[in-house]
Amino acid sequence: MAEIAIWGVIAALGLATFATRLSFLALLGEGELPLWLRRILHYVPPAILAAIIAPQILAGAPGLAATLDGPRTAAAIAGFAVAYLTRSTLATIALGMAVLWGLTLLQ
Amino acid sequence: MLTPDNRLALLAGARACIPLSPGILLFGMVCGAAAAGAGLTPGQSFALSWMVFAGSSQIVATQLFSVDAPAWVIVLTGWIVNLRFMMYSASLAQHLRGESRGARWLAGYLLTDQAFAVTLARVLDGRKDIPWFYLGIAATLWLLWQIASLGGIYLGARVPANWSMDFVVALTFIGVLAPLLRDRAMTAAAVSGGLTSVFLVLPLKLNLMAAALIGAAVGIAMEKIWPKSPSGA
Repeated sequence: MAEIAIWGVIAALGLATFATRLSFLALLGEGELPLWLRRILHYVPPAILAAIIAPQILAGAPGLAATLDGPRTAAAIAGFAVAYLTRSTLATIALGMAVLWGLTLLQ
Repeated sequence: MLTPDNRLALLAGARACIPLSPGILLFGMVCGAAAAGAGLTPGQSFALSWMVFAGSSQIVATQLFSVDAPAWVIVLTGWIVNLRFMMYSASLAQHLRGESRGARWLAGYLLTDQAFAVTLARVLDGRKDIPWFYLGIAATLWLLWQIASLGGIYLGARVPANWSMDFVVALTFIGVLAPLLRDRAMTAAAVSGGLTSVFLVLPLKLNLMAAALIGAAVGIAMEKIWPKSPSGA
């Protein structure tokens, strides 16, 4: 993408995000989100986070023939266990990377 | 006005960042490093950090930049990730009603998951010093985020490729995702979002957007079919 287009994307995303944050604050605290919209917004974060994580543990590109990469899958499972039990991002990254590097060296 | 009471609330907000700071600094560094590693210039990488100022959507935009997605897909997908801020905005607005327009715009710019969650906890404690407390935590988090981003941008271009540091992004997101999976519906949303992004290949790199929408739809359906137990979060 051209330099100027990249700047345009960053500025547009920044403004759209700011408008979202400002929305109700600008309206002097009046109004509330309809329940159906709150429901959708509640479930978007886990869906998008998982959507970013999942292709990272594949051996190749996404698609119907997708296969798992052994070390990355093991590292992701180890990281998930640590994250679920400790809620520590630091511990999650440390153990996950240790598993990934260890298994990669053994291969 | 910065009365002694307001000053105390401001400092209490800043102090509330201390337990959050390792995670924030790390996530900020990862985001900065990912942007620099994806080929954005240091100026562009830092612009993502202070213009967008939202880690998950910064990563989404970075990944879509690196696969050459169309500009509108990057903006739209990154924005969908940030729509949740509307919920926080609606809730926070009730506690900032008496504030000036400038103060409310600043509060909006600084709004993040963490600043909102900690401030809401203070509201539920029955405290009345919410605006200054919020300013304390939100502004401190902003500062930590920018410092971490600059560190990450500087380091990101210097880490050897064979260290698989790209996987740090996945692990960071696993660290954010795992605590969200408190009930069946949230788990269903995550599983279907993940499966969608693995098996569904769409043109124009629309996969992430599709995964977000399908995941949300499955989460809502699950909530209807199988309502969570009263003990659920």
